[in-house]
Amino acid sequence: MMARMLQLDRRILIGGIILVVLVALSLLTPILPLGDPAKVAAGPRLSPPSWLFPFGTDQLGRSNLPRVLQAIQSTCILSALAIALTMVVATPLALFAAYRGGLIDQGVMRIADVLFALPPMLMAVLVAAIVGPGWLASVAAIVMISLPLFLRIVRSAALSVARRDFVTVARLSGASPLRVVFVHLLGNIIGPLTVQFAYALSVGMLIESTLSFLGMGMQPPAASLGSLLFTGTPFIAIAPWLVLLPGLVLTLIVIAINLLSDGLRHAIDPIEQQGIA
Amino acid sequence: MRLLQFLTQRLLISAVTLIGVSLLIFVAMRLMPGGFEDIILGPFASDAARAATRARYGLDQPVLVQYGLWLKAALGGDLGSSMISQLPVADEILRRAPATIQLAVMALLIAIIVGVPLGVVSAVGRKGNPLVPLARGVGVFGLGVPDFVLGAILVYLFSRFQLGLNVGGFVPLAADWQANLRVMTLPAITLGAFGAAQLQRVTDVSAREVMTQPHILAAIARGDAPGTIIVRHVLRNASIPVLTAASTFFGYLLGGTIVVEQLFSVPGIGQYVITALTNRDYAVVQAGVLVGASFFLAISMIADIAYAVLDPRVGDPS
Repeated sequence: MMARMLQLDRRILIGGIILVVLVALSLLTPILPLGDPAKVAAGPRLSPPSWLFPFGTDQLGRSNLPRVLQAIQSTCILSALAIALTMVVATPLALFAAYRGGLIDQGVMRIADVLFALPPMLMAVLVAAIVGPGWLASVAAIVMISLPLFLRIVRSAALSVARRDFVTVARLSGASPLRVVFVHLLGNIIGPLTVQFAYALSVGMLIESTLSFLGMGMQPPAASLGSLLFTGTPFIAIAPWLVLLPGLVLTLIVIAINLLSDGLRHAIDPIEQQGIA
Repeated sequence: MRLLQFLTQRLLISAVTLIGVSLLIFVAMRLMPGGFEDIILGPFASDAARAATRARYGLDQPVLVQYGLWLKAALGGDLGSSMISQLPVADEILRRAPATIQLAVMALLIAIIVGVPLGVVSAVGRKGNPLVPLARGVGVFGLGVPDFVLGAILVYLFSRFQLGLNVGGFVPLAADWQANLRVMTLPAITLGAFGAAQLQRVTDVSAREVMTQPHILAAIARGDAPGTIIVRHVLRNASIPVLTAASTFFGYLLGGTIVVEQLFSVPGIGQYVITALTNRDYAVVQAGVLVGASFFLAISMIADIAYAVLDPRVGDPS
C-alpha cells in the first residue's frame, strides 16, 4: 500500500515539476534576461546553440530560446481552452443521455460514433480548412476530435452511477431531473472526469502542434511549438536545432502531462482502468 | 446464434455511422470558403464562367440533392471522378491503397513485436531488473513524442549520415522489395513507436490484472515453467484489451496517416486526400474519408469477431 502511494506520488511529482517549471519559464520570458523573442538579427542567422544563444538562432537571426519558451504558452493555452470547451459541451449531453436513455441516448451516441470513425488528423485538417488557418482552427479541431472521447467516457461513468440506489432514492424523493443529473451524477463522476481532462490535454497539444506543423494552426508572428517546427523544417539539414529543440520541449510537456494523468488515474482508481485512446 | 445477432446489430450501426460520416463530410466540404470554381478558374473569372463551372459539376443544386445523387451512385459502387484529373476516384484510391496498407501493416508489426514483450517484461519483471524501467521508459517516451517530431529526428539523422535507410524516393513493393523496404522502414518506425508504447501499457496493465487471479497461483503451485505460465495463462487471458488497442491503432493507421506520409513522401491515401482538400476536389475527399472510416469500422468489427473466438462469453448477454 505504501509502495503504491509512493509510486503515485512520484509520477504526479515528476510530471507536475516539469510542467510547472516549463510553464513558469514561459510566463516569465518577458522579464528573464534571455533576450527579446521578436528581435530580428539579434545574432547571426542560423547559428548553432552557444552560450549567448542557448537554442541557437533562426533564419532571421532571432534568438530561439525565448521563442521556444513563449511558444509553450500558446500550445498549453489553446489545448486547455479547447478541452475545457469540449467538457462544457460534452458533459451535460452525456449525462442526460445516460440518465434518460432511449432516443436521446441513441442520438448522442450515434453522433459520437460518427465523429469517432473519422480519421482524426483528417478531421483536424478539414476543420482547419473550414475555419481558416489560425488559433481558432486548432481549438475547433481539438473540440471535434475530443468530443466523442468525452461523450463516451462521461456517459459510461454516469451510467454506472445512475444505477446505484442513492440515485433512485433521490428521484423517488422528488428531486428534479436537473438536480439528479448535476448534483448526484456529476458529483460522483468528478474523479474520472478530472483524469480524462488531464489525459485529453495531451491529446489536444498533439492535435494543435500537428496542425501548426502542417502550417494550418498558429500563423506568424504568433508561434506555437508545432509552428516553430514547421518554420524550422526547411532548414533541418543545416540548422537541425531549429527542429529538434522545440520538438524535444514539446515531447517533454506531453510526457509530463501523461505522467500527471497516470498518477491521477491511479490515485482515483487504484485498479487502474485504461482510458480509451 | 447470439453471435450472429450481435454481428447483425454491429453491421447496422456501422452502416448508420458511415451514412453519418458521408453526410458530415458532404456538408463540411460545402462549408469551406472558396469553392471548386475558385480553384480552377482563379480570382479573375467572370460570374458567368463561375456559374457555368458550378452547373457543369452539379454544384448549383441544393446540397441535399447533391448528396442524394452522390449516395445513389455510391451505393451502386460509383464513387465519382476526380474533378481535377477526371480519373475515377475508386481507381485512384486503389492505386494508392497498397502504400498506405503496407505502412499500416509494418507499423502494426513493429508495435506488436516491440510493445507486447515490453509490456510482459514490465508486468512480470522483478524489482531491480534493469529491463523493467527500460520497458516503462519506452512506453512513456513513445506515448509522449509526437509522430512529426520523431519523424523529423529520423529524417535528419538518416539524410545527414549514410545509415542504410532512405528518406523519400518511394518505390512500390512489387517493383523492388529491397528498395521499397529501405524507404518504408523509417515511416513505419515513426508510426509504430506510438503503437508500441500503447501496447506496452495495455499489456502491462492487463497482464497485472490477470496475474492476481487464482488460476495463475494454481499454475505456479503446480510447478509450471514460468514461460508456459506467461504464454498460456497470462497472455491468453490478457489478450482482449491488447487486441482492442492493436485493432484501434491499425484502423487509425488505415484511415490515412497524413503527417508521416507527407514527411516521408509516401504516396498513400492520406497524402492524396490532403492534396484534394486543398484543391477542393470534393469527390476525392468524400471518397477518401469514406474509405478511411470504412476501414476503421471494418477493423473494429473484425476485432469483435476475434473477441468472440477468444472469449466465448462475448455476445452472451448474461
